[in-house]
Amino acid sequence: MRDTLYLALRYLAFHRVKTAILVAAITLIVFLPVGLRVIVNQSSQQLTARAEATPLVIGAKGSPTELTLNTLYFSSDVPARTTHAAAAEVTETGLAHAIPMYVRFRVRDRPIVGTTLEYFEFRGLRIVEGRQLAILGEAVLGSRAAKRLGVGPGDYVISSPESVFDIAGVYPLRMPVVGVLEFSDSADDDAVFVDVKTAWVIEGLGHGHQDLSRPEAAAGVLRREGNVVVGNASVMQFNEITPDNIDSFHFHGELSDFPLTAVIAVPPDQRSSALLQGRYQSAGLSQIVNPTEVMDELLDTILTVEKFVIAGAVTVGLATLATTFLVFALSLRLRSRERETLFKIGGSRTAVATVMTSEIVVVLAAGVLLALCLTFLTQRYGDVIIRALIR
Amino acid sequence: MSSRMKSAVVTLACAIAACGGPAPETEADGGAEAQVESDAVVVFTTNYPLAYFAKRIGGERVRVEFPAPAGIDPAYWSPSPEDVAAYQEADVVLLNGAGYEGWVAKTSLPDSKLVNTSAGFEDMYIVSEEAVVHTHGPAGEHEHENLAFTTWLDPVLAIEQARAIRDALAAQLPGAEADLQEGFAALETDLTEIDARLGAWAADHAGQPLLASHPVYQYLARRYDLNLRSVHFEPDEVPTTGGWRDLAARLENHTAEWMLWEATPLAETRELLASEYGVGSFVFDPCGNRPESGDYISVMRANVESLEALPAI
Repeated sequence: MRDTLYLALRYLAFHRVKTAILVAAITLIVFLPVGLRVIVNQSSQQLTARAEATPLVIGAKGSPTELTLNTLYFSSDVPARTTHAAAAEVTETGLAHAIPMYVRFRVRDRPIVGTTLEYFEFRGLRIVEGRQLAILGEAVLGSRAAKRLGVGPGDYVISSPESVFDIAGVYPLRMPVVGVLEFSDSADDDAVFVDVKTAWVIEGLGHGHQDLSRPEAAAGVLRREGNVVVGNASVMQFNEITPDNIDSFHFHGELSDFPLTAVIAVPPDQRSSALLQGRYQSAGLSQIVNPTEVMDELLDTILTVEKFVIAGAVTVGLATLATTFLVFALSLRLRSRERETLFKIGGSRTAVATVMTSEIVVVLAAGVLLALCLTFLTQRYGDVIIRALIR
Repeated sequence: MSSRMKSAVVTLACAIAACGGPAPETEADGGAEAQVESDAVVVFTTNYPLAYFAKRIGGERVRVEFPAPAGIDPAYWSPSPEDVAAYQEADVVLLNGAGYEGWVAKTSLPDSKLVNTSAGFEDMYIVSEEAVVHTHGPAGEHEHENLAFTTWLDPVLAIEQARAIRDALAAQLPGAEADLQEGFAALETDLTEIDARLGAWAADHAGQPLLASHPVYQYLARRYDLNLRSVHFEPDEVPTTGGWRDLAARLENHTAEWMLWEATPLAETRELLASEYGVGSFVFDPCGNRPESGDYISVMRANVESLEALPAI
């Protein structure tokens, strides 16, 4: 048997290019559908894990997918705005804790996530460097955002203008970085976290400027009418909140009317969750979505596509397998003189057939083994690649 | 009334306020707090009355912290990031509301821990007449409505705030409702007694013009229908020429003989007030910060005694 195997291996080694092509073909035939399935499964787990950790999301009526992706992954597609009153309404029901989210602005390509301290507790995010948000205008960065932006506690980040042509629009706010979060292997690693009130300052709903009632601000005053001071266009607004000017910062209007992209609702139990969802079933300006259901729908679409891809891969695999067998058959026919020679020098017909069969078995085994190795590697490192892709 | 008599009344009033009355030192003071069990509910407050109420209601079950330094008005205090971090660690953060703690809007505190003790009577907030409106930019007119915030000077509202504290603590201390109610009831009794005494005094002095050194007594004035007008005098500063001019203008149509001060004014100010304007001084301490001696109730009783010491019109 060893002699037979030796002859088979020597033959394959001599025809190494042909062997390599056959092994590669067998590997791909096996790996493509199996590897694809593994990747899809891992993607599903990645997407659903964060969704499952986010009980309910409330937002303005519109695309549930947009709302979910913006809230969970801070995607750049900003859903229709709801108001801060939506968060208060959730709290008032007593059925859930409300975590306001305002994900609209960016520091370069990193999302600015305006929220409250409850978000950090909810996601289990811990500060590893510096401290937690304390004063208006401060920022805490996810670990990857800190690395990519090259900043840490003591440095500054500046919000990016939404449009360079929007002169009257959102002014950049310079924000001190006070802390960096521990690596969490999630979308939170890429975010720049600020207090939701700071996000409103970026939007211009809150600002600081000279006290117009003071004599030194006379140049910025257009006219005075009793208690009303009318400022002109030269009133200087601060683009950074510092201990010296923080007292001049103020918000215009009712905080309850200020915008949010979403409210994460965290009910204590299933019953409260059901009751809360029931309250939003009737027609209104808000919608409540279960991120798991939204992601499942999204995954259903992905799985439908996956079925087509796997069907295609299987078809291609079968064709390749047929071709491979054709190659083996043709090869055997071309090697009829070689078989005859082996027979004439004393090899039995069974022994010759065994040598030929061993060659085929070794090629098939090598191909399957390689496919298994690739599947293992995909299983082991696929999630890292997927996270990088879906982020 | 002669200036000598006024001086005597002032001396008596200041002495009563400074002594803080006969009430014993309570658990709201720092010494006793150290003995509180480590598993007590941690309550942070933004002014002293709330700290006092919380301790009276919660007793040993709560550890009350009020980090504003002594000697300042907590309404104008800005906490450091370290102070804010301490607030963030609390189980409950009691707010006075009515715009009292403006710094809260400029800090990051967990919403779920904040309890606005005056939320139950928001419709009773008093809008300050001295609000400044400014307009600029594309957003147009921005009105910065100023609310009067010394709500606790109306004992009835103070009781409502105490009730809100009781409910907030009950949410943190399931099973302790009876003890909390007991603490609340005792506090309510004290506040009701103060309310009755102030009411009786106000009935005897109905319509008597009074001045306040600062516009901080709005809720007190409304509760007892006091004929009270304010100027802007600081107890530790002699008023400027403009300040005296404003006082003179105020006195033209408001012939007050007495001025309420948040703290004992400078002797020079007091003498000038008495000799030049015929206005006597007495202290009615709003007690926004921790008193040097005594506690909230003893200070309020001293305030009542100051009023009761004024001669009837």
